[in-house]
Amino acid sequence: MPSSQAPPAGATALDPTAVRPDIADARIVRVTPAEIRATLEGLRTDGFTMLLDLGAVDYLTREPARFDVVYHLLRLPSQPATVAEIGTPERVRVLCGVPSDAVAVPTVSDLWESADWAEREVFDLFGIRFDGHPDLRRIQMPDDWEGHPLRKDYPLRGVARERTPRPSFALKSNVAAGTPASGRTAAALQKQIAEVRRAIDGHAAPDGKER
Amino acid sequence: MTVSRAPEAVALDVVEQSGNRMVLSMGPQHPSTHGVLQVITEIDGETVTKASPEIGYLHTGIEKSAENLFWSQASTVIERMDYLSPLTNALCYYLAVEQLLGPDAAVPPRAQAIRVLLAELSRIASHCVWLGTGGIDLGALTGFFYCFDLRERILDLFEASGGARMHPNYLRVGGLAQDLPDGFLGRLDAVIEMYEPRMRDVRRLLQKNPILQDRMIDIGIITAGEAVNWGLTGPCLRATGIAYDVRRAFPYSGYENYEFDVITRSEGDAYARFLVRLDEMDEAMRIIRQVRKVLDDPGPVQSPDTKFSPPPKETIALSMEALIHHFKLVSESFRVPPGDVYAAVEGPRGELGYYVVSNGDNRPWRVRTRPPSMYNLQVLKKIAVGELIADMVVMIGSLDPVFGEVDR
Repeated sequence: MPSSQAPPAGATALDPTAVRPDIADARIVRVTPAEIRATLEGLRTDGFTMLLDLGAVDYLTREPARFDVVYHLLRLPSQPATVAEIGTPERVRVLCGVPSDAVAVPTVSDLWESADWAEREVFDLFGIRFDGHPDLRRIQMPDDWEGHPLRKDYPLRGVARERTPRPSFALKSNVAAGTPASGRTAAALQKQIAEVRRAIDGHAAPDGKER
Repeated sequence: MTVSRAPEAVALDVVEQSGNRMVLSMGPQHPSTHGVLQVITEIDGETVTKASPEIGYLHTGIEKSAENLFWSQASTVIERMDYLSPLTNALCYYLAVEQLLGPDAAVPPRAQAIRVLLAELSRIASHCVWLGTGGIDLGALTGFFYCFDLRERILDLFEASGGARMHPNYLRVGGLAQDLPDGFLGRLDAVIEMYEPRMRDVRRLLQKNPILQDRMIDIGIITAGEAVNWGLTGPCLRATGIAYDVRRAFPYSGYENYEFDVITRSEGDAYARFLVRLDEMDEAMRIIRQVRKVLDDPGPVQSPDTKFSPPPKETIALSMEALIHHFKLVSESFRVPPGDVYAAVEGPRGELGYYVVSNGDNRPWRVRTRPPSMYNLQVLKKIAVGELIADMVVMIGSLDPVFGEVDR
């Protein structure tokens, strides 16, 4: 029985950005999937040339947008620049709420090359589709994996699966007779070694016991 | 393990059965991939026409694990991401948590100085691995021993301070687990003293080596515009001429008090990245020398708020409150006010960031890493095209990926 990860007590479907205006680590923009392309294109032309990171958060019980896809942008020059020219570049964090019944956002991998693997990872671990992504495959988990592990309703140790059937003892010993993998016991091997030794020495042990 | 990464499926996609072309799967067990990277390479003669890096062989679900541990326990798994500079990971995670906790979690100056010291020692130790193994990739075996000897001395310092060599778990919310032990500063002085002659040897062995220069110059060129578009940070970005360093742009842990230069190059090739890292090690040592002067003054190394930092051991037997706080901390940890925050540090590989979300519980709701290695490695798709297959190892080495962090 898989131990489903219950949402912790007191888990509220918070909008965290509304809670902590005191942390000024970045400018925060909140959009819907319909607006995300236009917003990011606008920011990009505005000088936010680097897509630092693209991740996601599963708020599980939040309505209507269960997921947040989080874009971290940084304003950097696209040509060589000194420390003074860069100064303290501006950060902006774009949070895109994604509802659980339409788990898709448009891709930005054509705007930023850095989005390619990041979007694949979010697709892999959260099951959020990125429409228009050229190669939306799993990236961390095996290709035939079922489920999306970073979703909050995915159990910590994974869903219970049938174990790969292992070959039986009898089958094993048919595979390659005479190799240690053929399933013989150590005692049988020792016996064989003793026989070889006897043959080399040219005489059997007097008591017939193995040495 | 029945992990079907289906390389055949990918290979069918890229293979073209005409002329001189063939598909070569490099890794995931190739020694020069610095871990478990598979690069499915399409080559025409000896020239790479397409390279598809496949990652995920070391995926261990660290972010998922962190969500299920107490705030204080999560750093144990987080240190396992970038296993060549674990302290940098822990530092970044704790910076995020401390921001969420607010001013109560302010770190005392001495603890900040020790954090900077360990972060810079980690940078040198991590670059030692890169430099040593990077030399081995190119057939220069001797440099490896010089670098790893230096790294050993630094790991000894980690062991002295935190109790373990690779994953000391020495940092805590609001400071450190304990102060530096007696005799630490003497050993630190010994490392500082041996650093310069050792690096002189290493530079003589590797930097001016004409074979290495031939292998690295003009290989894997990245322009400034490409670097920004591909999300490169750290030495890979600075080798293109953009002097973006988180320590300067968004100072943390008191980096604004130390003098150091942000090393840049303009060429953007593998040799430029090589030189940036080498010079960065010297700058790290420059910071360490400045921190060393501060360390003679004693002071607290932990925030006094016992809501999240364990009360001093000697008070536990005497004070009921201390005992209660200690029991609460061990049995259910502390709670962090709701909110989300992005904190970043300059790791050895670039901007390491943690996007941490709290819902007010005693476990993080979400810990998202911005893995610099992953973004740096991705550019291999771009730079490998048109280069010789033999230079693939040079390019992978020059990007310095750590797969614990790429795959997490």
